[in-house]
Parts: sequence; C-alpha cells; structure tokens
Amino acid sequence: MLYKILKKENYTDFVEKLISEYEFIGPKKKDKVFHDFVPIKDLRELDTDYKKTTIAPAKKLLFPPTEELVEYEVGDVIKVKPLVESSEKILFGIDACDINGMNFMDWIFSTEFIDENYFAKRRKLIVIGKDREPSETCFALSMGAEYAKDGFDIFLTELEDRYFLRIATSKGNEITEKFARIQDATDSDFRDYDKFMDDYRSKFKLKINIDNFYDDFEFIYSNEKYWEEASKNCYSCGSCNLVCPTCFCFNVKDDMQLNLKVGNKMREWDSCMIPEYGLVAGGHNFRPTKENRLKQRYRCKLKTFVDKYGKYACVGCGRCIEACLAKINIVEDVNSVKKEVSA
Amino acid sequence: MSKPKVGIFGFTGCGGCQLEILNLENYILDLVGAIDIVHFTEAITEHSDNYDIALVEGAITTKHGVERIEKIGNIAKIIVAIGSCACNGGLNCLKDLYGLEKAKELVYGDKKDWIGSIEVKPVDAYVKVDYYARGCPANRFEIVDIIKALIVGKKPEIPNYPVCVECKRNGNTCVYELGMTCMGPVIRAGCNSRCPNSGAGCDGCRGPIDDPNINAEKDLLAEYGLTVEDIMQQFSLYNAYRGKGIKQKIM
Ligand code: SF4
Ligand code: SF4
Repeated sequence: MLYKILKKENYTDFVEKLISEYEFIGPKKKDKVFHDFVPIKDLRELDTDYKKTTIAPAKKLLFPPTEELVEYEVGDVIKVKPLVESSEKILFGIDACDINGMNFMDWIFSTEFIDENYFAKRRKLIVIGKDREPSETCFALSMGAEYAKDGFDIFLTELEDRYFLRIATSKGNEITEKFARIQDATDSDFRDYDKFMDDYRSKFKLKINIDNFYDDFEFIYSNEKYWEEASKNCYSCGSCNLVCPTCFCFNVKDDMQLNLKVGNKMREWDSCMIPEYGLVAGGHNFRPTKENRLKQRYRCKLKTFVDKYGKYACVGCGRCIEACLAKINIVEDVNSVKKEVSA
Repeated sequence: MSKPKVGIFGFTGCGGCQLEILNLENYILDLVGAIDIVHFTEAITEHSDNYDIALVEGAITTKHGVERIEKIGNIAKIIVAIGSCACNGGLNCLKDLYGLEKAKELVYGDKKDWIGSIEVKPVDAYVKVDYYARGCPANRFEIVDIIKALIVGKKPEIPNYPVCVECKRNGNTCVYELGMTCMGPVIRAGCNSRCPNSGAGCDGCRGPIDDPNINAEKDLLAEYGLTVEDIMQQFSLYNAYRGKGIKQKIM
C-alpha cells in the first residue's frame, strides 16, 4: 500500500482528467431521493456526497440484472458461443462498505469455479473508493465493513484541506502518477487520517447485535410465532435481495428465437424471498411460506456462510431496510432475537 | 415439426391486445413462419374452424359471446387468454359494480332491453384456459414466449412474483419513495415494470400474484393517506371481478 496526499485544489483537475481519459462511472443524482452509479461525462454530474444508499449496488456493473451468457445455433451440429462482455472502466466514489460487498462477490464468483462473465468485467474495473457519511440505515460498523482493506485501486479519504490516498495496486499507482499532483504522506497526515477514521466510526449510529447471533439463532429457529410476526407483512417481493450487494443468486433462462434455430441462455437476478425459488421439479416447494423464506434469508446471510466459510454474507449497507415496503428490518429482527433469548 | 394452427379471436375489449400482435413488426414474419394463423379477427378475413391453439382476447359480456367461446373451447386443444379482459374480466367488470340493470339503464336509457349485455366474465369462467398472457395491453413479447414454449413443448415461464422484482432489476426508484402509491407489491410481474419505469404507480393490470399479501398492501396504502374507498377503487380498476375462475379475490 502506498500512502499519498492530494491537495484539495488539485482534486478537480485529477477527476476531470479521469473523466476525459476513461469510461467513468460514478454516483449521480437520479431524482429527489436517490443516486445511481451511471456513466459520467461531465464533472458537474458527479455527486459523491449521496445521503441515501444508491439503489442498485455496484454489483450491477459486474453482475448485471440480466446478462446473456451464451449464444447457440441448432443445426446438424450445435454451435455454442460464449458471450463475455468487458471494457476498461473506472468506478469512482464507491464507499468502503460497498467495496466490501464487491469483495464478497469477487470471492463468491471464484470460490468453486471462476465465473468468467463476472471476472472479465472485474479485471477491467478500476475502483476508486471514497468515504461518505453513513446513511441512516447503515450498520456497516457492527459488521466490520466500514473500512476497506482491499478491493480498490485507490481510496480517497477527505481530510480538512487534502485527500489522504491509499493506493493498493500498480494500476492505482500508474493512474495517480500520471494524472494527479500528489506527494508522500507524512506523520501528521497519518495522524489526521487516524483521527478522521475515529470520527468516522462514531458516525455509525445503527448497531446490530451480531456477536451471539450465531448461537442465538438456534434458539429462535423453531419458534413459529417469532417468524410469523417477523414476516407478517412480507410481500415476497424480493426487493431486499435484489438491492443487496452480497446477494448473488441468479436464474438461468433459455431464450430461443421464433425460427427455433438460434437462441441464447441468459441469467437474471433471482431472490430467495420469492416462492418459485424453492420450487423443484414435480411441483414440490421446500420453502412454501414467507415465514420459511425470511428465516432462510437471515440464516443464509448470518449463519450458513459463517458455517461454511467463516464470514457473514452481509456488509451492513442497510439497503434491504430502505427497500422494504413492509418495514422488515434485519437490525430490529436480529436485535429482537437477543431479547427473546434473554427473556 | 409441423406448424401448429392458431386462431386469434376477439371478444369484448378494445382490441389492443390483437394490435399488440400486429405490432410485433420485426418479428411478425418469424411468427407467421412458425405458426399457421387460420383466424385473426382484427387482421384477416379468411376463417377456418380447424385450429389447435386459440389466443383469446376480451371478456365475455354477451350471450352470443358465451356461444362463441364455448365453440372455441370445443375445438382448441390449448387456449391462451391474452390481455386483462380475457384473463380476469379487466376494466369491463367495473360495469357490474353498478349492477347489470342499472348500468344498462345508465348507458342505453329506455332502449336498454335491446341490449344483450350480461354479467362480465373472464374466458376461464366458461372454458378451461391453459395459459394467461396478462396485462393491459398484454405484453406482445410474452405472447411470443408462450407461443415458442408451446411449439417446443415446454411449459411457458410466466412470472409469479410481484412487479417490484422487475422494478429492482431495472434500478427504478420506488414510486412510494417519490410520495406516490403503487400496486406493484401484490401484482404479477411480466410487464417489465412498465408503469414504474416511467415514474407511475402500478395499476394492477396483470392481476395479483398467486399469494398476494393484501393486508400488507392495505396497511401501506392507508399509511399513504388512502381511505378504504380509495383503496377499493385502486384494486378495482382491473381487478373488480369476483366470480368463478379467478384464483384470488383481491378485496
Ligand atoms: S422482506 Fe421486504 S423487501 Fe424482502 S421480500 Fe419481504 S416485503 Fe419484500
Ligand atoms: S414502484 Fe411499485 S413495483 Fe416498483 S418497487 Fe415500488 S412498489 Fe414495487
């Protein structure tokens, strides 16, 4: 890791150069409520101080909501052509919590096999992170995801009159050398950075009692009343999964053209909260009720992954809380498990 | 594979769903290449009673309509209802909220007895419907998907999840966030969240999913200041039919 300083007066110049040199994706105000990560052509469109979490997390750039995987042609022989799309891009202004979400995706799409569609894009994505105020529903601190150790090329932290740059890759180094007027960080810069981080951590107001959840979950597991109450207003709409930066489930579909000769296989974001997810051949559904499904979602995120891989499948970004019209709230639910156990 | 013979029939409705088929433009030649259209109320004058698949648009609202749909039911091996009117009666059912006689009187005055209007029913109130291409109008690409699935002998994949799923895939800001209301959480997707994509709430033209959480939706709408009457009206626009054939009673 290299540590550099970029003076504030040189920030605009740096970003403008990146916008003109690269395909540049950054947060832009979408409407009166949300921001979205979209291509930026002009610095004035870029707004990295978004208050609410952007709707679709950056996963949409690497694992798009719908994506064609292969093209085929049926004849005497069946011709199959993989469709792998990628181009070099800069993703600018993603926060630490979302970088950790992306790190989770990197890991999931390379654990049992390398997902080429994902990694072709990931390899060409230059990630320039930047801190921002945690949104109201963000509990990343409790999940240990408020700070990004890796997963970025450059990470910018805004101090009073300068940016503290953490440069993690040779690509990041190349970019800063070429486009930014930087200098080495000194002891006083490090001190200010540490102070900033202490301050920053104190801004996460929402806390989840995750520490004993692993064991406490067993206690609540068969408590039908608990799950009935927790899922009462659930629409089975899947929004909580679809906006989640660590939810990776997808459904693969066949789309043959009317000539019945050529077609493609595509994948689309799926959700364990919708009934079809648990439907298998023969018509049996192993998670037929919304109670089953909510239980499964919490279990997958906060327990199964701990069992299998020693990590949570949640970075605490709070998007699922924001997105749920039924006000189902993972923080409240986990914290209330604690109460049930102590009662 | 021999081409299946298909009849496309219109009953009471605006004719917009048949028009959607004509609007396939770039695909229309492929379509007539894949199927043999022997009847198409809105598009061709020829007619034959020899067909395997019937695509039926419109609700059944007259005695004559009942006779026609029953005949189609006797001939077709597969019936696909297309559009909201055929699938669950659609807008036509608003008429029956007045009561049949009252409605006839309102519209036709003292000539009301000349009119053979009966209580509005969807196609499946009279004949077995195998597949539903819902929506107002039906999504023409979904109609094509159903036809393709039938030709290759697969079960068509019709979503049974709420519109919110497509909304999220499309990266829309939820219209509730913008201070408006939406039926999306209880309505079947498959329209590619057409209305929310343009910033409008879903009116429910595709009807409810199999297991809609109506109580949650009522709570939510009430929270946004809607009275019970407003809520009923929202639900009724496309989903006023209460009779035989419909799986969910939405209110
Ligand atoms: S928990 Fe909320 S967002 Fe998730 S499926 Fe249920 S209603 Fe939708
Ligand atoms: S706009 Fe409607 S369909 Fe879209 S997420 Fe919101 S409630 Fe669901």
